[in-house]
Amino acid sequence: MERMTRLLVLEDDAGLRASLRMVLEDEGYQVLEAEDAERGLEIVADPEGVDLMLVDLMLRGMDGFSFIQRARPQTEAPIVVVSARDGVEDIVAALESGADDYVTKPFLVDEVKARLKALLRRPSMSGAPQREADVFVLDSHDGPLVFDRGAAALTRDGVEIHLTNTEFRLLSALVDHVGLVLSRSSLLEHVWERGFFGDERIVDVHVRRLRKKLEVDPSSPAILVTVRGLGYRLDRR
Amino acid sequence: MTLRRRRGLRSAVTAAFALGALLISAALAAGTYFSVRHFLVEQRERTALRQAFTDSALVRDNLQTSGAEVSEVLGSLSPPAGAAIYVRRHGEWYSSQLDSAGPELTAEVQPVVAEGSAALGWTDRTDPSAVVVGVPLPAVDAEYYEVSVPEELDRTLWTLAIALAVCAAVTTLAGAVVGRSVSRRVLGPLHDVASAAVRVSAGDLTTRLDATDDPDLAALVGSFNHMVDALRHRIEQDARFAADVAHELRTPVTTLTTSLSLLEHAPDLSPRTGQAVELMTRELDRFRRALDDLLTLGKLDAGHPGAEPITIGARELVVQALRASGHDPIVLTGTPPDATDPPVRVDRVHLLRAFTNLFRNADVHGGGLSAVEVERIDDLVEVRVQDRGPGVPAAERARIFERFARAGGEKDGTGSGLGLSIVQQAVRAHGGDVWCADGAIGGAVFVVRLPVATEGAS
Repeated sequence: MERMTRLLVLEDDAGLRASLRMVLEDEGYQVLEAEDAERGLEIVADPEGVDLMLVDLMLRGMDGFSFIQRARPQTEAPIVVVSARDGVEDIVAALESGADDYVTKPFLVDEVKARLKALLRRPSMSGAPQREADVFVLDSHDGPLVFDRGAAALTRDGVEIHLTNTEFRLLSALVDHVGLVLSRSSLLEHVWERGFFGDERIVDVHVRRLRKKLEVDPSSPAILVTVRGLGYRLDRR
Repeated sequence: MTLRRRRGLRSAVTAAFALGALLISAALAAGTYFSVRHFLVEQRERTALRQAFTDSALVRDNLQTSGAEVSEVLGSLSPPAGAAIYVRRHGEWYSSQLDSAGPELTAEVQPVVAEGSAALGWTDRTDPSAVVVGVPLPAVDAEYYEVSVPEELDRTLWTLAIALAVCAAVTTLAGAVVGRSVSRRVLGPLHDVASAAVRVSAGDLTTRLDATDDPDLAALVGSFNHMVDALRHRIEQDARFAADVAHELRTPVTTLTTSLSLLEHAPDLSPRTGQAVELMTRELDRFRRALDDLLTLGKLDAGHPGAEPITIGARELVVQALRASGHDPIVLTGTPPDATDPPVRVDRVHLLRAFTNLFRNADVHGGGLSAVEVERIDDLVEVRVQDRGPGVPAAERARIFERFARAGGEKDGTGSGLGLSIVQQAVRAHGGDVWCADGAIGGAVFVVRLPVATEGAS
């Protein structure tokens, strides 16, 4: 029997937690509830782990930002923040902490379901240009940096660099359009499957995170470059 | 009702100073004039008296010693310039000059002299008035009269009067100048307060008066600044209230919509229950959108920074908004496809929200969207959203952008009543404006104007 996707719902409001559990169970998830960050960390540390997380930021005790910072080294499971806090600084701080996506309350549960599905999905090969192989050498100067999409692995000089699911999807989208500029809105559509109202800051924060893993000097990017006013472009070195 | 234009405070202070200076200088000039005049007239009378006594003694002595005729004696005398001597003896009048005006000129003093006393008087029969001195000469049975016209006195007094009048005029002018200067200094702080009040009334609640050491002004400055602080606090509190209420409702509304979505998909609902769930879903959806609009408006009111502004073509932005709201971008007309898309620097999500609200407004209240035009006009981009409805009456056009306003007093709207307010706030936050007008082919047209992004803005 196929293992159910384990989804952690970290939300201190019992009513919302219960309603999310019921809806998401109907979607086929195995929902694990936590009302505070400590309980959430216990679930993350469980040998069975989690595959997805829905995390509220305003929690009693340890807040959602700290939870994400402490959970992120232990798991690559995508984290979707659901919060009433919608200030620029909150969104950026949550994404910088390691969240993959952000949904503000009040939301429609269908939107959350769509976000979760998008984050779990592996990048589709059908829309991508045909490649002879699915292995790409991104940097041949400072120890070969190789992205093996089939094996979902990024290695520099043979040493594996861990990518989160979202980073993997973002890099895949960029690799599919090597040498071409991708606008923030098209990356939002490709990677997060967001509509027109998606927040482009999600792209910027993830590009910064990905640069830390790709670039020798992230402050002066040579592979994942910004094209001012237009978007981002992946260049092979 | 007669409108009387009130003089400004500054003019009033200037006029008061000038009037004060005029009164003081006029009083001083008058006092000076009359004192000097009194002194000079007295001098002149004493001189005339002394001269008359000397001359009369000479006449008496000549008449006594030589027994000469009066006319001979008078002929030997040389009276002072401007003076005439008259002698009356035995009813006959004798003059040092060839005139016979003696009886008239000396009429004032004749009765006193006739009684044996010396007399001094003035006669108006000359121009200017002359001083008349009469001296009885009983030893020779005669009356001596000397009439002198004090022309130099008259000239002196005239010159003095002119000089004093000029001084008074200059003093009055100086008073006006000092008054103007004093009023400027005294009313300066009032002017500062007035300017600050104008800025506050125009909505600039950061306006404050500079602190001062002047004890007379410190209280005013303190009170004014305190008043602006209180006003700002109150306005912010009012603006925050709706946003705070909306914020507190976020989680319960999310719980309700999530729970209701379970009910919606429940397989064993009776038709009546299904109908009730459908009603609840619709109303809750409307409530959720109103809450969302209130939160958006709260952020726009508070001037919250949205996303980092991006530079995007106005047509591209409108196309995205059309797609996001489920419209075919074919309705976009106006600019030829090969023309440059005028760039605008915007918070994309806020502006998309504004345009989709306009399209939704056309769909719900305007009989559907008929055309959208994008046109560059100098440094501005104009986006015109045309609908197929009956148009908006001129009297309603400003009101429909107010919060919770509905055209024609319509009550059963399907929206939150905040859609057009959000449009207005978002467009104004980008330095633009929005208004409603008559469409060229009927219906209403909503016109959005945004500034074109300048070079290097990206």
